[in-house]
Amino acid sequence: MIEVSNISKQVTTTEGTLSILQEINLSLAAGESLAIVGPSGSGKSTLLGILAGLDLPSSGSVSLNGQDITAMDEEGRAAVRAQTVGFVFQSFHLLPGLTALENVALPLELQGDKQALQTAAYYLERVGLDHRISHYPRQLSGGEQQRVAVARAFACRPTILFADEPTGNLDTGTGEKINDLLFNLNKEEGTTLVLVTHEHNLAARCGQRMVLAAGRQVTEGSAA
Amino acid sequence: MQALKMLLRTWRGGQLSLIIWSLVLAVAVVTSVSILAERIERALTAESSSFLAADLVVRSSRAIDPLWIQEAERQQVRGARVLSFASMVYYDANMHLASIKAVETGYPLKGLLRRTTSPFTSDIKLIEEVDFGPVAGEAWVDARLLPLLDIELGDEIELGEIRLKVTQVVVEEPDSAGTYGAIGARVLMNHSDLDAAGIIVPGSRVTHRYLMAEGASGADGFAGFSAWIESELDIHDRLITPDEAQASVAEAMDEGRRFLLLAGSVGVVLAGIALALASHHFAAGQTQQVALLKSWGISASRVRSLYMQQSLWLGVGGSLLGLLVGYGFSEMLIYVVREWLPISLPIAGPRPWITGMATGLLCLGGFTLPALWHLPTQSPLAVLRQDVQVKPVSSLVRGLFGVGAVASLLLWYSKNLYLSLAILGGFALTALATIVIGLALLRAGKTYGQKMGSIWRLAASNLWRRKSQSIIQMVGFSGAIALLMIMAVVRTSLIDEWRWQLADDAPNHFLINVAPYELEGVRTMVNEQNLETAGWYSMVRGRMTQINGQEISEDQRDRHESFRRELNLSWTQDLPEGNELTAGEWWDKLDLSGDIAPVSLEDQLAGELGLSIGDQVTFSVGGLVFEARVTSTRSLNWDNMTPNFYFLFPEGLLENYPRTNMTSLYIPPQQKLLVNDLLRKYPTVQVIELDKIIERIRTIVSQVTSGLEVMTLLILSCGVLVMFAAVSLSMSERLQESAILRTLGSSRRLILGIQLVEFTVLGVMAGLLAAIGAEAAVAMIQRFMFELPFAMHPWIWLVGPVAGGLLVGALGVGYSRKAVVQPPLEVLKSL
Repeated sequence: MIEVSNISKQVTTTEGTLSILQEINLSLAAGESLAIVGPSGSGKSTLLGILAGLDLPSSGSVSLNGQDITAMDEEGRAAVRAQTVGFVFQSFHLLPGLTALENVALPLELQGDKQALQTAAYYLERVGLDHRISHYPRQLSGGEQQRVAVARAFACRPTILFADEPTGNLDTGTGEKINDLLFNLNKEEGTTLVLVTHEHNLAARCGQRMVLAAGRQVTEGSAA
Repeated sequence: MQALKMLLRTWRGGQLSLIIWSLVLAVAVVTSVSILAERIERALTAESSSFLAADLVVRSSRAIDPLWIQEAERQQVRGARVLSFASMVYYDANMHLASIKAVETGYPLKGLLRRTTSPFTSDIKLIEEVDFGPVAGEAWVDARLLPLLDIELGDEIELGEIRLKVTQVVVEEPDSAGTYGAIGARVLMNHSDLDAAGIIVPGSRVTHRYLMAEGASGADGFAGFSAWIESELDIHDRLITPDEAQASVAEAMDEGRRFLLLAGSVGVVLAGIALALASHHFAAGQTQQVALLKSWGISASRVRSLYMQQSLWLGVGGSLLGLLVGYGFSEMLIYVVREWLPISLPIAGPRPWITGMATGLLCLGGFTLPALWHLPTQSPLAVLRQDVQVKPVSSLVRGLFGVGAVASLLLWYSKNLYLSLAILGGFALTALATIVIGLALLRAGKTYGQKMGSIWRLAASNLWRRKSQSIIQMVGFSGAIALLMIMAVVRTSLIDEWRWQLADDAPNHFLINVAPYELEGVRTMVNEQNLETAGWYSMVRGRMTQINGQEISEDQRDRHESFRRELNLSWTQDLPEGNELTAGEWWDKLDLSGDIAPVSLEDQLAGELGLSIGDQVTFSVGGLVFEARVTSTRSLNWDNMTPNFYFLFPEGLLENYPRTNMTSLYIPPQQKLLVNDLLRKYPTVQVIELDKIIERIRTIVSQVTSGLEVMTLLILSCGVLVMFAAVSLSMSERLQESAILRTLGSSRRLILGIQLVEFTVLGVMAGLLAAIGAEAAVAMIQRFMFELPFAMHPWIWLVGPVAGGLLVGALGVGYSRKAVVQPPLEVLKSL
C-alpha cells in the first residue's frame, strides 16, 4: 500500500542547507497501521506531508497504491489524494461558516457525490454526533470538533488515513475517546492508518512504529 | 452549482458581508445617481419644451417652406406656424403699433396659454389655462391694449382689411420668455385670418417660426425629422432647442447634474476601496480553506474555477441587489424633494441599469479577483504547517488593476476626462503621501512614544510593528476622508454660488420704454411702494447703416437681427458693474476729443456681427447720422438681473437724441398690483415680468440642493463603509493580542486605551494626509469642471485631522470593545 524508499528532505535557509529527513525507508501493507513518533522538530510532520503527497522529498520515492507519487506533478498527486487519502489534523481544520453536517459533506460534494448529505449524516451518527449535525464548529467542544473531523475523513472512504497528532489539542479523557473512535472505524472500514503522535499509548495501538530523531529513522518494526 | 452552494454557506457564515455591502453600495450609488440624473434630464427636456411651446423651433426671416409642412405631415410630426410682426391696430380714432402674433391651429404644441376675461387681474382663480389659441375672427390681447385703444372685451378692433373681436386677455404665453424686443401690446390672432387682413406683403418685417413636436411617429420619428430639417436650414433660419430657450434653468441643472456625477464618481471610488480592502481581508481568511481543499485532492484549476464561479455569482447577485437598493435610494431621493417638484419625473431608460450592473462586474474584476488570484497556488502543505503561506499578487499589480477598473469606470460614467483625472490624481497623491509621510510619521511616533506613558508606548510600537497593515489602513482612511472633503467643498461652493446668483431681492421686473415726460410719474409710483430700482438708464434707439463706410448689405440683414432692427444705445461714465473688458480700452484711457465717437460692444455680439476693435460703424438715430469706432469689447453678467447694454458710449454724445428710460427692480408678490396700475396709467411703458422664471429657477435650485444633501449622506455611508473595511482589516490580530493581554491581567482601561490611541493616531494622520489630496483635487475640479476661481480651503486642514481622529478612533474602539466585554477564551475561540 505504502512503499517509501530512501527519501531525504533538505531545505535551504539563510544559514545554509538544513537536512530535515535522511534516508527514510518504509513499507506498509493495506489495513495496517503505523505510528510515527519522536520529539518536536524530529521531522514527523514533514514525513507525513511527503507520505500523503502534500510535499515532495528532495530525493527518494514514495508509492501509494502502487503509484509513484514523487514522479507526478501536483495535478497528478491531487488526483491520487482525491482517490486514496483522508486526513485528520491536530487543529481540526473545520470551516467555521459550515455546520457539522456541511463540513463532513463538503469533500463528498466536491467529488460530485449526490448522496453527500446522507453519507455525512451517517458518519456523524457513527461518531455519535447525530444530535449536533446543525451546529457550527464554534458551538462544539474540542472533542466534538475532532469527532466531526474524523467523520469527515472516513466519509470519503479513503484507503489510507493520515492523522497528524489527532489528540494533541485535547485532554487525556477526550483524547482516549477519539483514539477509540479512530481505531474502531479504521478496523471496520479496513483503512490503512498512518499517524503522527507524541503519545506512547496511542503509538502502542499501531501495528508498526517508526521513531524519528533529528530526521533519522531510529527504529522500525512491530509494536510490542 | 457547487460554487453557488459554497458561496451561500460562506455568506451565511458572515465572511462575505463586507464584500457584498461594498459591492451593493458601489452599484447602488451609481444606479441611483444615474436614474436620478436621467429622470431629471428627461423631465427638464419635457419642461423646457413648454418654454418653447414645442420640442423644436425654426426661426426664420422668410416664410416657412411648404415642403417642410408636407414632410412633417408625411413623417407624422406635429407642426404649427407662428408669425410675429408689428402692425397698427385701430379702434375709432385710437391706434396702437401692436406686436401681432398669428398662430396656426394646434398652437401651443407644448405648454399652456393663460388667459382671462378680467383684465389686469392677478387672481389665479380668474385665470384659465388652455392649450389652444384664438379661432378665426377673434383676437386675444394684452390687458394694456384695452386702455390704450379705450376698448372693452367684445369690441372689434381693425387690423388691415379685417375686424377682429377681442374675446380674451392674454396673461402668459408659454413661449413668451425671451421676447424682450416686443414693444407694442400683444395681439394674438389666428393664422388663417392673415390673408384676408392683407397686411403681410413682400418686404414686410416678419419673424416666421415653425414649431415642431413629437407626433404619432414617436421619439424616433421626431429625431429623424429633426435631423432632416436641420439639413434643410440656410443662413436665414435658426434652430432653437429647449436648452437654449431655458438657458438659466439649464445651467443650474447642468451644474447639479455635474455634482451628481462627481458624487457618483466619489461613491464608486470609495466603494472600490472598501471592496479592495474587504477582498484582501476575505482572501486572507480563505487560504486555509484552499489548503484543505487541495489536501483532499481538489486540483488548482478546479479551485480557480470554484472561486471564479463564486466571484461571478457574487458579482451578479451583489449587483442585482445593488440595482434594487439603488432604485430604492433614487425613489427616496425623489420622495425627499417631492414637495419642490413642480413636475412628475418620467421613468428612466435602460442606461442607468446597465451602468449599475457594469459597475458591479467591473469592481469585482478590478478589486476582488486580483485579491483572490493567488489562492489556487496555495500549497496543501499549509494544513500541516502554518508557515507555508502563498504570497498574494503583489500590491503593485493589484493596485494597477484597481486603478484601471476605477479609471475606466470614472471615464465611462462621467465622460469627463478632467473630473476622472482630478479624482484619480487626488487619490493617488493621497496614497503616495500616505506611504511616504505615513511611514515617517509612524517611525517618529515609535521613537517619541518610548518617552511617554505605557499606553502611548505600546500603541506606537504596535503601529510600527504592523506598519504595512497600518499603511494600508491609512490609505483607506485618508482616501475616504479626502474624497468626502472634495464632495463637501464642491457642494458648499456650488450652493453658495447659486444663492448669490439668486439673491432674494434680485430684480424680477424690467420697466422699459419709459418716455422722459413719464419718468417722474413712474418714479413716484415706484417710490410710493417703497421699492428700489437698480438705477435708471437712458437709451436712444438707433440703427446701424454702414460698417467701415460700406452700406449694410441685404445678406448681412438676413444673417443677423441687429442689422435689421433698431438697437438700444446707452451711455455711461464708468464700466458698469458685472461688465468686464475683453479687448481694447475703456474711456479713461482714450482720447475722447475726436469727431468719431468711441463705442464699446458686448463681445459675443461683436463676434456675431463680425466687428472688431478699430472698425467704424455708422449709426442713424431718428434720421441723424453719426460715426463711431469700436474701441473695446465687454463681457456681461446676465445673472444679476440689472440692465445690460450691447452698445455703450461715453457721456455727452447721445443726450440730445430722443431717448427713453429703463430700469429693473424687485417687486414682491404682494405688491404685484403695481404693474397693473402702472400699465393702466402709462400704457406705452413696457413691463417685462421675470418673477415667474426666477421663481422656477429658485425652485429648481432648492430641489437640486436638497437632492445634493441626500446624495451627500449616501456618499458619507460609503465613506463609513471604507472605514469599517479598513478597521476590520487588523481586527482579528488586535482581538487576539487584547485577549492575551487580558489573560495576563491587563486592565480594560489599558486595552481600550491602546486601541483608542492607535486608531486615533491613524485617523489624525490620515486626515492630515487627506487634506493634501483633497486640496489638490478640488483645485482641479473647480478650475476645469465648474469654472470657479482657485481658493485654498483652510478648514480642510483642521477638519480633516479632527474628523479623522474622532471617526476612526470611535470606530476602532467600538469594534474592539468585544475584546474587553467577552471572556478572553471566548474571543480566542471565535477567531
